[in-house]
Amino acid sequence: MSETRLNTPEQLNSETGEHLYNEVHRGWRKGVTALVLDLEQTRDIDSPGGAWLLKIAGYVRSKGGKFNWEGQREEIRDFMDMFAPALRMKPVLPPKGPGLLDRVTNGCIDFWGESCEFATLCLDTIYWIGIAPFEGKGLRLNAIMDEAYEMGVRAIRIVFLMNFLLGLIIAMLSAKQVEAFGMQIYVADLIMIGFARELAAVMTAVVVSARTGAAIAAELATMKVQEEIDALRGMGINIVQYLVSPKVLALVIVLPCLSTIGLVSGIAGGAVWGVIVLGFRPAIWYQQTLGAAFMGDLIQGFLKTLFFALAIALIGCHNGLRVSGGSRGVGLVTTRAVVMDIFTMICIDILFAIFFYYLFG
Amino acid sequence: MEDTIIKVTDLVAQYGDFKVLDGVSFTVKRGEIFMIVGGSGCGKSTLLKHLSGLMRPVSGEILFEGNNIAAMDEDELAEMQHGIGIAFQSSGLFNSMTISENVAMPMREFGGISKTLIDDLVRFKLSLVGLASSQYLMPGELSGGMRKRAGIARAIALDPTLIYFDEPSAGLDPIMAAGLDDMILKLRDMLKTTFVIVTHELDSIRLVADRILMLDKGKVLFCGTLDEAMASPIERLRQFFDRRPDEYITQSNME
Repeated sequence: MSETRLNTPEQLNSETGEHLYNEVHRGWRKGVTALVLDLEQTRDIDSPGGAWLLKIAGYVRSKGGKFNWEGQREEIRDFMDMFAPALRMKPVLPPKGPGLLDRVTNGCIDFWGESCEFATLCLDTIYWIGIAPFEGKGLRLNAIMDEAYEMGVRAIRIVFLMNFLLGLIIAMLSAKQVEAFGMQIYVADLIMIGFARELAAVMTAVVVSARTGAAIAAELATMKVQEEIDALRGMGINIVQYLVSPKVLALVIVLPCLSTIGLVSGIAGGAVWGVIVLGFRPAIWYQQTLGAAFMGDLIQGFLKTLFFALAIALIGCHNGLRVSGGSRGVGLVTTRAVVMDIFTMICIDILFAIFFYYLFG
Repeated sequence: MEDTIIKVTDLVAQYGDFKVLDGVSFTVKRGEIFMIVGGSGCGKSTLLKHLSGLMRPVSGEILFEGNNIAAMDEDELAEMQHGIGIAFQSSGLFNSMTISENVAMPMREFGGISKTLIDDLVRFKLSLVGLASSQYLMPGELSGGMRKRAGIARAIALDPTLIYFDEPSAGLDPIMAAGLDDMILKLRDMLKTTFVIVTHELDSIRLVADRILMLDKGKVLFCGTLDEAMASPIERLRQFFDRRPDEYITQSNME
């Protein structure tokens, strides 16, 4: 049972602090129960000097000893007063993450909670769009028009371009494959059927998801972080009525229109390749395309866009309203919204494919 | 060592055609707590952004330790900014990092500090602002006052010679605000740092300021010690310290 005493230097800085630490480290023997630093000579302590004191205190504590000091001069009294709690307290350990079982359980609880929230949002939206207007609680037509302009009109160029290029690429690649069989004219059928059933709807929805779905999530998340959502609630305004339903309704209106533009532009892209590169007369390509157009395919594509629109808008709103954690949270929910959009679209697409396959073959 | 750390001469700043700062000149002495005060919209925060190099002036000169900030290129400006600390009104903490990671960030990026010492240095800085036990908390888990103190801990991470502080007491209760003022005084004495603080909290000004600069409509109305300010016959200054509203506000209220 013994106590070690050490004098500290006049200036406690990075160099002298390290020297002091090494002295404590080298001089520590079994049986020593405490280290007392005599600060009488010390007139000045800088930041690295303070950090070395913490290191010394931590070392002594790790050896089961007690750390203390005495004799501080007036010049460093304030410093030591502010610093003392950190020297006396045990270092705070980083929080341990939950175990595997906890993570699984929490994951299930979170999933259930989020599913309930999403279901509530969907039901609320159905009420505010489908029932409330008949109870005299009007829709915000101006907001719907603004949203439709932003989501629809401003997306026309990119939707046109993406589908046009996709049509061009598919025509280019498929024509090469069927060239040996002299069946290049059937590329027109392929483009028509492919875009009517699948590509126009999916490609347009992917563009809209990346553009509008992300924007919805980011906008609502930012509003929540900046307490604008709370401000609206504080005014007695229903968030679903005021913010969610105009977005959902606007997207349900504009996505089928955009998809139609996508269909036309995709067929145009294919036609450009067929007429200019493959050398077919425009009238023949047109007749072939028209011959491959079936109402069932067009209805399938149209119905899909309605479900895609609902999914994109609701998932965007759901994620935006669930944000936590400031700016980082906004980025996370925006990414999550787009990923969920695309996954959900694929699921909807599969369900449609199965349904129409068994219904019409 | 030169006594003056900042010298501003004929500083002009404008947003579009609107002159926010119009011929502002003053000096800040090394080691003092210099407070920039004035009504809302008088150009305080704009001045602070110019002093810290976040904005470039339209004309005029800002000398920091003899070097003109306005004439620095990007690299020189970044080098200068490593030597100053900025504590923002809303703390400016990175929400994705813990408090200790926030404080350690400038040390790891620019400090040239041994990795073995960084953790202890972070704990040291946090202990100076009374947050040693909160080092693993996320900024979102802190109260307003704790966030401000964490912001200061990050600002002092590299032992800057100068700290800019925007509205330290804004949004804090009087006890918390008084604690923050007391901490600024102690940090100044311990770290020998110069503080330039933008505020309009009268209590803070009375308790902490060595000298004050009062701006009004983008111009310097007064620059001097608190005693000189209290004795000054300048009407706008008297109005500020007496908390008297503008005439037009009183009249419009009566109408």
